[in-house]
Order: sequence, then C-alpha cells, then structure tokens
Amino acid sequence: MKKSKIMTAQEAVSLFISDGMTVGIGGFFHSPSYAITHEIIRQKKAHLTICQPSFNEHADQLIGAGCVDRIISSYVWMEVFGPLYCFRRAMEKGIPHKIEMEDYTNFAVMARYLAGSLGIPYVPIHSMKGSDMMNYRAWHGEKKAILMKDPFGSGHDHVLVPALNPDVGYFHCQRADEEGNSQMWGIWGDMPWSMRACKEVIVSCEEIITREQIGRDPNRTILAGYKVVAVVHAPFGAHPKHCQGYYDVDRDFIFKYIRESKTEEDWKKYMDEWVYGVADRDEYAKKFVNTFGMKKFLGLKAKDMMSTSVNYGF
Amino acid sequence: MTSDYTKFTLQEMMAVAAAREIKDGEKVIIGTGLPLLGAYLAQKTHAPNMVAIYESGAIDCKPIVTPFSVADSVLVPGAAMQGGLMEGLGIVHVGEIDVGFLGGAQIDKYGNLNTHVIGDYWQPKVRFAGSGGSNDIGAGCKRTIVMMLHQKQRFPENVDFVTTPGYFGGGKERETYGFHGNGPSVVISTLGILRFEPETKEMYLASYHPGVTVAQIKENTGWDLKIAPDVHETEPPEPDLVRVLREECDPTGVFLKKQ
Repeated sequence: MKKSKIMTAQEAVSLFISDGMTVGIGGFFHSPSYAITHEIIRQKKAHLTICQPSFNEHADQLIGAGCVDRIISSYVWMEVFGPLYCFRRAMEKGIPHKIEMEDYTNFAVMARYLAGSLGIPYVPIHSMKGSDMMNYRAWHGEKKAILMKDPFGSGHDHVLVPALNPDVGYFHCQRADEEGNSQMWGIWGDMPWSMRACKEVIVSCEEIITREQIGRDPNRTILAGYKVVAVVHAPFGAHPKHCQGYYDVDRDFIFKYIRESKTEEDWKKYMDEWVYGVADRDEYAKKFVNTFGMKKFLGLKAKDMMSTSVNYGF
Repeated sequence: MTSDYTKFTLQEMMAVAAAREIKDGEKVIIGTGLPLLGAYLAQKTHAPNMVAIYESGAIDCKPIVTPFSVADSVLVPGAAMQGGLMEGLGIVHVGEIDVGFLGGAQIDKYGNLNTHVIGDYWQPKVRFAGSGGSNDIGAGCKRTIVMMLHQKQRFPENVDFVTTPGYFGGGKERETYGFHGNGPSVVISTLGILRFEPETKEMYLASYHPGVTVAQIKENTGWDLKIAPDVHETEPPEPDLVRVLREECDPTGVFLKKQ
C-alpha cells in the first residue's frame, strides 16, 4: 500500500499553500471546497492569485479577508442570488486593498487550463474577439491574450490564450481514497482540466473510500492520485453549496451571506461567527446544527436517486 | 396565485415572448430566471423536442422541479449527459447550439452588451460580474435572445464596456470576425420587443407590450430609436400559456412573483 496522504485541512493548507502562490480553485457553483477555502482564511494566507472560470462567495470571502491580490476569472458574482460585496468593495474602493482582475470568459479560462493540462503554450479560441477584454489588460499585459491570423488559412483571426498552470489547486468531490484517487459526479465544473493543469492538488471529500472501491468504477475517477499531495476528509465540505448525492444547495444560507456582507461591519461579524470562530469543518457542521436545527440540516440531505451499475468485466 | 389566466404580469409577458422565439428541435443554452421559464414553456408547449443545455455541462435536461441556478443539482438526474464547463461551453464554442440567452447592465443600438462595469474600467462606479459565459454564448450560438430591463441608462448610445459583441458598429462588421454565431436576433425588454434591421443591424422597435406606449419606449432609450412601420402591440400571452407557465414551469413561484 502506498503512503497515505490523508491529513487535516489545517495541515494541508499549512504544508502546501504559501503566500504569493497562484492557486487554482475547483468547482462551478457545485461543490467548491469551503473546507479548504476557510482554512486558507484562518491561516491568513496573503498575496494569492486565485484562478477559477467562475467564482462565487468563496472568492468574496478570500478577497474580504485580504488573502487575494489578483484574480484570473470571468465572473465573480452569485447568479440571481445577487452581487458579492467584498469583490465590489475591493474593485470599486480598494477595500481591504486594491486587487487586480484579469478578465476572461468562462470558456477562455477553461482553454487556458486545457493548454496547461496538455503542456502546450496556448490555445486559439473564438471567444473574446472584438470585446473590451482584449483592450483592457491587468498585470498580464500583452500576454493576457494575443490576436493571431489563422496560419492554416481560414482567413480569420483567433484569440490565443496562454497556458495556466497554478502552483497548487484544490477541489471538493464526493469520495477519494488515501492516495488521492478522486471520484466526482454531477456537475464537474472546471474539472478535470483545472486540476490536471495544477502542479500539485489538495482534494477534500465527503467520504474516504478504499483503493479497491475506486477500482470497481474507474470511469468515475476525475483525477488520478499521483499529483494529489493531500486528502482531507471534510463531510459537509461544500456547504452552502451542494454536493450531488450528499446534500442540496442551502439557498437561505447564501441569501444570508449576501445580506450580511453588504457592509464591512456585518461581513466581519459573519466571518467571526462562521469562519474564524470555528476550528474546522466538523465544528462548522455542529455549529450549523446548533444554530438552525437538525431538521434544517437533514432537510438539505440528498434524496436517493441511485444509478444502475455497469459490468466492467472482460 | 391567481387562476385567472387572462390576466398576466410583465414577467409572464416576457417569458411567453421568449418561448415564442424558440422553434421545435432547437438546441438552447439556458440561463436562470426568465430565460429558463421561457425555454421550459416552449418545451412544454410548441417545442417538445427542444434540447435544453446549461453551461454547467448538463445536456438535454428534464428537471422535475424548477432549477434555481445554471448548476442546480436538479438538472443532473434525468439529463442525457452530464459533464462540466468544457462539455457545456465546448459545444457552444464549436457553433452547434441554435439559441443562447443573454442579458446585461447595458445594451447599445447594435446589440453590444456590457456585463462588466458602469464607468471607467479601472475606477468603476459599479463593478458587475464580468463575462461569465456570456461572451462565449454570443460568439458561438447561431442566434441570441437578449432579455433586458428597459431603462434609459441601460440602453445608452454607447456601452461603457463591450463584454459580448453584438453587431459592433453595424452593417457587415460582425461578419469580418469569423464567429460561428450570427449575433442577437431579438431583444425582449420590459417594455417591448426589438429586432435588428437586416442591412444596418440597428435595433428597432417591433412591438410594444400591452399597456406600454411607443413614446414611453423612446423616452427610455438612450438614442433616437427607430420604430418599425408596422409597429404594433405585442401579442398578449394566450391564457393557456399563462396557465402552463404558472402551474407547470414555476409552480412554487421561484421566479414568478406571486400575485
């Protein structure tokens, strides 16, 4: 048996995330790792460049907490739930400090990850052509994106976006084994390309399973364990977002966050209560039950809608 | 909720107008809110073979309850395929999707959309979400349906930032870029329905919603809006469509305000 990579979120963040790193964060509304995000905030990591095709409240909290200098993304918002106020305060007023954003499209960030995951320097895309995202460039400058005539003769220009290879990535999935072989279903989001492009990966998961169980359904594995450096067991680790088959999105809690992040003062109270005031994800879950009741907690639990099994025989 | 289906709200008018834009068998990439209701209304009525796609990689979704988000977990069970952003937006990028929905903080007379900033990009008065998948959908979908709150500041002569190009400066300018998508075909606003003149690509008023006047629409548009010679009232929603919308598409009132 290979060496176990199972550790706490505290150990994983302390060992593998350093100030100034470029960090790829996995997920697309579904299954972001709040377990790791909150630990980064508690450990007061600073000067991070955070990358994700589309960011939600987890980015807002990292920005408000002062962990972030730069963002590579297409979106920082929470859909019809509403705006993210720490992001807006930082972009509009430089609170807690001025941050920069390299504005791409959702697909353009995916294309950057695709290039990064394949070890090629860039990928040509149709998106972004003619938009002001080509005219306004942050710290990447000329290297944000380059317009180039198709050398194969279509007659059209394409936008070349450069490979993105974050120093470290983290994501949350349903289950992983102690080597880091990770299985995910439902909405993959930026997976697997984002994590494949990262140099090292921290995975948090709802359940730890055995290597034998992984091997019984290897098509469900979204990332093989060899580049995973830490496996964190974090049930309820994506709340208030959903994790398919485990729990649904907690809309009330997201609305609560958006409401309470409108002013800096209320936001700090929220963070003291739900991030700084809890040591880890277990305490968070206990606090959730104590605050909102077991009925609410169980109400989020996913219904059983089992897939049929397939024959992997030969 | 009223059971009088002959009366309707502005939201219901817009959802019905969106549904009417979708043809049976089309592949449609859907956002949340009114586009979602419009698309599902189409699927439940005249377009049963519509293929509903979300950028989260959910393809041919048949959710049993109203999804709230483009990445809602209810989209997954029953879908024909579930992937991620590469699957959801890859098929947009290649040009295989017929219809995409867009919205934004500002739109100009050539259908260029802004979802980035009000004011200067570097010192924004208001910073919005950014592109998300909007620019990808605008570039790749064969046509787009834009849904807008119709206010003067949201319909300016020039947008503060071009997030998703429409027809650029009009005429044949868009064609020079080689996008797979052909640009916006319609703007469904809170006041009326606007389309684009085939040659100049300038937006014009095709119809005004019941209870709205042409003058009111002109007042709420930041340029001298052209009016179609045959401008008329938007056909009110058929009571049966209002019924399906309320009772089947959004029975719990996720998006439709309860009366």
